[in-house]
Amino acid sequence: MRGVDRAAFAVALVRRLRAAGVPVGLTGAGDLAEALRVHPPVTTTALYWTARITLVGRHDEIAAFDAVFGALFADQSPPTGAARRGPAAPGRFAAAPATGQEPATDGGGLPWATLPAVVAEADTDDDTGPALPERRPSAVEALADRPFDDLDADQLALLAQWLRGFGTTWPTRRTRRQAAHRRGPAVNLRATLARARRTGGELMTPVCLRPVREPRRIVLLCDVSQSMQAQTAAYLHLMRALRDHADAEVFTFATSLTRMTARLASGALPTDVASDRFGGTRIAANLQALLDSHHGNLVRGAVVVIASDGWDSDPPSAMTTAMARMRRRAYRLIWMNPRAGEPGFAPRVAAMAAALPYCDALLPAGTFHALAEVVTAISSTVSRAPRAGTG
Amino acid sequence: MHDAHDVRRRLGEQGYLADDGMATALFLALRLGRPVLLEGEPGVGKTTAAKALARVLAAPFLRLQCYEGLTAAEALYEWNYQRQLLAIRLAEARRETLTDADLFTAEFLQERPILRAVRHTGPTPPVLLIDEIDRADDEFEALLFEFLGEAAVTVPELGTFVAQQPPVVVLTSNRSRELHDALRRRCLYHWIDYPEPERAAEILRRNVPAAAEPLIASATAFLGHARDLRLEKPPGLAEAIDWVGALSALHVGDLVRGEALATLGALAKTPDDLAAVAALLEET
Repeated sequence: MRGVDRAAFAVALVRRLRAAGVPVGLTGAGDLAEALRVHPPVTTTALYWTARITLVGRHDEIAAFDAVFGALFADQSPPTGAARRGPAAPGRFAAAPATGQEPATDGGGLPWATLPAVVAEADTDDDTGPALPERRPSAVEALADRPFDDLDADQLALLAQWLRGFGTTWPTRRTRRQAAHRRGPAVNLRATLARARRTGGELMTPVCLRPVREPRRIVLLCDVSQSMQAQTAAYLHLMRALRDHADAEVFTFATSLTRMTARLASGALPTDVASDRFGGTRIAANLQALLDSHHGNLVRGAVVVIASDGWDSDPPSAMTTAMARMRRRAYRLIWMNPRAGEPGFAPRVAAMAAALPYCDALLPAGTFHALAEVVTAISSTVSRAPRAGTG
Repeated sequence: MHDAHDVRRRLGEQGYLADDGMATALFLALRLGRPVLLEGEPGVGKTTAAKALARVLAAPFLRLQCYEGLTAAEALYEWNYQRQLLAIRLAEARRETLTDADLFTAEFLQERPILRAVRHTGPTPPVLLIDEIDRADDEFEALLFEFLGEAAVTVPELGTFVAQQPPVVVLTSNRSRELHDALRRRCLYHWIDYPEPERAAEILRRNVPAAAEPLIASATAFLGHARDLRLEKPPGLAEAIDWVGALSALHVGDLVRGEALATLGALAKTPDDLAAVAALLEET
C-alpha cells in the first residue's frame, strides 16, 4: 500500500460497498484509513481482514462485502476461500510476489480506476439479485382469493414475501415471574423500601408487582400427504413465517411425524419436507405420536393449529381419542382446512366430523386471504372463541 | 505488539489459536483504541478470546455478564445508600448540617465493572469483557454509548470520569436479537467462523493434551459430519472440547461406538439432536 492515498482508497471502497448495499458510514471510512496507517497490509488477505473488520457491522453484510472485495482484487485469489481452506492458504503464496504494490499490479492501476467496469457489474447484479424489495400490494391483492392449486412458483414466492411482512401481535401468556410496575396485585417490598430511603424511611409510594407476560407457544401441525399436495408449498411458507416471527414449533405429518422446527431455523426453505411426503395420511396416529413423544409437552398451554383436509386412514374413534387428549392439553385448537372455503362445504369426512367437537375454530385455508384470517385467529386467541360445531 | 502476526503468536503462547481475522481484529482494537464486537455461533471461543487477550497483555480482566433487566446500577455505578443513611444519622447526632455535596462523593460511590474499568489506575489498561450483550434489553445498549465512544462515564452528581488509559473493550453477542446500529457503529466487528478441520484439531490438541492423536483425528472428522446434520444446536468448539475431554477421561483411544454413545451428551444438548448424532455414529 506504499504510495497510495489511504483516505482516497478508503472512501472509494466505502462508495462501492454502499453501492452494493452495505451501509457503511463515514466512521467506517475513517477507521479503515486509520487502520491502514497503523497496520499496513502486506498481503491481500491482510487487507481483506482489515477492511472487513473496520467496515462490516453485521453478519448478513459479509457476503456483499466479499463480492465487492472479490471484484476489486479479482486477480488475487479470493481471501475468504483462502481463509476457509486452512492455515497453509494458497492465497498467501499467490499474493506474495505482489508484496507492497498489489493495487498497481491489479489491472495496471489503482483499484478505483476500474470504476466503470464495476458499475456495469453492479447493474447486472441488480437485475438478478434477490435483494430488490418488491412492494406490490396489488399483485398480492389479485392473488388473494385464488386457490393455491392455481398458483405457480413465482406467485408462491410473492406469498412468502407477504407472510414475512406480518406485523401481527402474537398471543401471550402469564408467567410465574413477577416484575415491578406502577400498579399490580402485590407489593414489591424491596423496591418500596428502597424508594422509602429517599423520604427518610417513610413509606410514601408503594411499588407493585405484576406477572410478566411471555409469548404463548404456537404449535403448527401440517398435513403433507397426497391429498394436500397443492397446498403444501404454500403451507411451508406459512410454517417458516410462524417459525420466524412467532417462534412456533412446526411439525409435518403424512404417515409419520417429522419435527421441522430445527430445519426451518437454518433460514433456508427445506426442499425435502419429509421422507413420507405425499404418502397416505394417518392423522390420529400422528397426533397420538406427538402427544406420546418427548415433544408432547410443547402442546401444553399452546395454541395448536392443525392444517389438514381431514382425510384420515385411521378409524374416526382413534381421532376422537387423540383430539380429546389434545384438547385437554392445548390452550386453543384451530383446524385449518383448505376445502372449508369451497361453496357447499360440510364436514362430512368421518375424521373431520369426529375432530370438530374438540376444535375452537374450523377455518378455511385455501387462499391467501384465508391464510391471513388464520393468522388473525391465532393472534386473537386472548379470549375464548366460540366453538365451531358444538356437540 | 507491532502487528497482527505478533498478536497471533502471543495468543498462541497463551493456548488460544487465533486465525488471521481474529488476530487483525484484536490488534486493531488495541491500536485504534476501539471496542471490538465479536459475533459467532455459540461455542466458537468469543469469551475465551477476551480472557486470552487479558493474559497476553498481563492486564486485569473485568467481566460484565449481561442479562435481561440489567441496569446502570449493576453495570456502571450505584450509590451506597446504607452508608449515606448512616452519615445522615451521624451528622444529626453531631448537630451538623449536611448538603448534597457531602452525601454524593466518591466515598459513597460503589463501582460496577464499567466504572471500575474507567477509573482503573495501573501500568496496563484493563480488559473489559461485556459478555452476551444481546441478552440485555436494548435500552441498556444506549447506556454504553458514552463509555464505548469516549471511554467516559458521567455520574450526574459528581461529574464525568474519563479513563486515563482507555480500557480494551470486548463485546460478545450470540445474535439472539439484532443489536442497534449505533452500537455497531462504535465498534470494530468480527464474525467468528467455525474453524476449518486442521485448526479445529489443533485447538483440540491444545485444550485436551491427554487425548490420543487418532481420537482427535476421528473426533474432528465426526464433528465435521455432525455439523452438516441440520441440528437444533450444532456442536461448537466448546462442546467438541468437552466431548474429547470426556472420551479421553474414559481412556478411549479411538472412536468406539459403545463409549462414544455414552459420552454424546457432551456434544448434543437436546433429545432430537442426540438421536441424530447417535444415528450418525451408527453409520460411521
